[in-house]
Amino acid sequence: MPEATTRHAGYWARMTNPEDRHPFFDQAEKLLKNRTGVAGLIIISMFALVSILAPFISPHDPVENALYDQLKPPVWQEGGAAKNLLGTDDLGRDMLSRLVYGARVSLTLGVVSVGIALVFGSFLGAIAGYNKGWLDNLIMRFMDIVLAFPHILLAIVIVAYLGPGLRNAMIAIGIINIPRFARIVRASVMDEYEKDYVTAARAVGARDGRIIFNAILPNCLAPIIVQASLGFGAAILDAAGLSFLGLGAQPPTPEWGAMIAEGRAMILRAWWVMTFPGITILLAVLGFNLLGDGLRDALDPRLRD
Amino acid sequence: MNAMVNGRLLDIRNLKTYFHVRGGVLKAVDDVSLSIRQGETLGLVGESGCGKSVTASTVMGLIPMPPGFIAAGEVVFEDQDLLKMPESRMRQIRGKKISMIFQEPMTSLNPVFTVGDQVAEVIRLHERLSGKETRERVIESFRLVGIPAAETRINEYPHQMSGGMRQRVMIAMALACHPKLMIADEPTTALDVTIQAQILELMNKLKSETGASILFITHDLGVIAEMAQNVAVMYAGKVMEEADAETLFSGPRHPYTIGLLSSIPIVGFDKRKRRLSTIPGVVPSLFSLPKGCLFHDRCSAARKECGNVEPPVVDLGNGHMVRCHI
Repeated sequence: MPEATTRHAGYWARMTNPEDRHPFFDQAEKLLKNRTGVAGLIIISMFALVSILAPFISPHDPVENALYDQLKPPVWQEGGAAKNLLGTDDLGRDMLSRLVYGARVSLTLGVVSVGIALVFGSFLGAIAGYNKGWLDNLIMRFMDIVLAFPHILLAIVIVAYLGPGLRNAMIAIGIINIPRFARIVRASVMDEYEKDYVTAARAVGARDGRIIFNAILPNCLAPIIVQASLGFGAAILDAAGLSFLGLGAQPPTPEWGAMIAEGRAMILRAWWVMTFPGITILLAVLGFNLLGDGLRDALDPRLRD
Repeated sequence: MNAMVNGRLLDIRNLKTYFHVRGGVLKAVDDVSLSIRQGETLGLVGESGCGKSVTASTVMGLIPMPPGFIAAGEVVFEDQDLLKMPESRMRQIRGKKISMIFQEPMTSLNPVFTVGDQVAEVIRLHERLSGKETRERVIESFRLVGIPAAETRINEYPHQMSGGMRQRVMIAMALACHPKLMIADEPTTALDVTIQAQILELMNKLKSETGASILFITHDLGVIAEMAQNVAVMYAGKVMEEADAETLFSGPRHPYTIGLLSSIPIVGFDKRKRRLSTIPGVVPSLFSLPKGCLFHDRCSAARKECGNVEPPVVDLGNGHMVRCHI
């Protein structure tokens, strides 16, 4: 075999030879060539960086009241000062600092609620897709019931039952997103089920559980990753909605949705209190959606050349 | 360990594997009896849809039930009826004592794991070995099937390998736990001819080294001639003729076998530009099987009774069996 000699080539040669590379690099490269994906990636990296570095880059304590600096406008407006770049709210708290810390809250919330939805949704979806029949019907009809409720209404019901607060809001958002993952995973498991490697796995004596979670599920990762990215944006939006209604983050937690709710009364006097959190939410959700689209393009096997 | 009756490793007796389908029952395998001795290769030949693969899947216990069901019969392996065995025991036999090589090496390997990992998985499922021992066993089995640079190639993914190499990996997987019986379901159909020859040569070599028996399923009579000691010809779910390879190729008795053998082109032999002979008609649909002999409406030697009376199995001696009114 002449090709055998090249197998001993160095790591770099293996990475740069397109035939030999780990598929991860192909997909990463594809994502980086996709403008939408890169834009999303940049936005999200920015938010991630800001939330990690929050204590170092925020100019003030996000919950510290300053009674003499109430409702200061942003620096470029008359009456604004460099001390509060984006102005202050009605308790004199620095808007920029609150937005910076708000990124922490929102990203944590996204991770937790998407995590809940992903784990339970994938588990239920995989079992439903593998066991066609009554179990599939039972699980998926239950998912249909969950989906039949208006999204935010169901979240409100769950939070009302568990009690308001950020933690319960995360759980509620996680639960209402379970069916999305369940459906997607079920569909891809059913697709993979037909493939020969599944029969081959059975022919070497693997158990059903091992076949589902060790053999099939890793092949369904692409749609799960895409849904996770899109779901992240949706979760942030839902959480902002719940907080706006007073069911999510409680004051004085700097949560974007709660900030909008607080600024609502002053929209005519102090537009910045409501506008900046709004723009921030928009940017964050946009970032996750762009990344999700980019990932879909990079991971979709039908678009692969 | 256990003395097998007549030295038979696998004994399929009057097996009937049927499927419930819309509008009735489909008799995919109907009253098939086959046996394989230790260290022997049985070739199972037939056209597409004649029940070869269903027979193999039944032995492996891989028939989806429902819609499939075993209407009758026994599959005796090492003196135990596999059909009566609970699923948990059956799992211990699959991959360990009976392993399978599939037709499509392109799709039979899991694309997201390295090939070494997949061979190791089989060993992990059946044997308690340390990680290092498992790795050594994987490398050993890669060497056995002739994969060069085994230490580095175990880290490759299926897509990085050629079809022939992937089939070698499949064979390494099948051999990893030193099985008694290998079921090869058209293992060379998807490969080009030179690779095909290499794989067949490899399987013959491994068979003589390991002493494993092979159930070799194919529609290619040329391949059978190279591989098998005994041959069974299937048609529409039934075995039509069974004999040792030499007898079958030199003196076939069933008109279907005769037809199959004369429809193989022979390179350089056709001095008179004779037209290649064919068998007229098509395989009957399993939904509407003809009365009497299943083959009578395509048979050149058909007589009156062939269309009415189902032919008996005639024993011509030396294990040569024919299902025909001869």
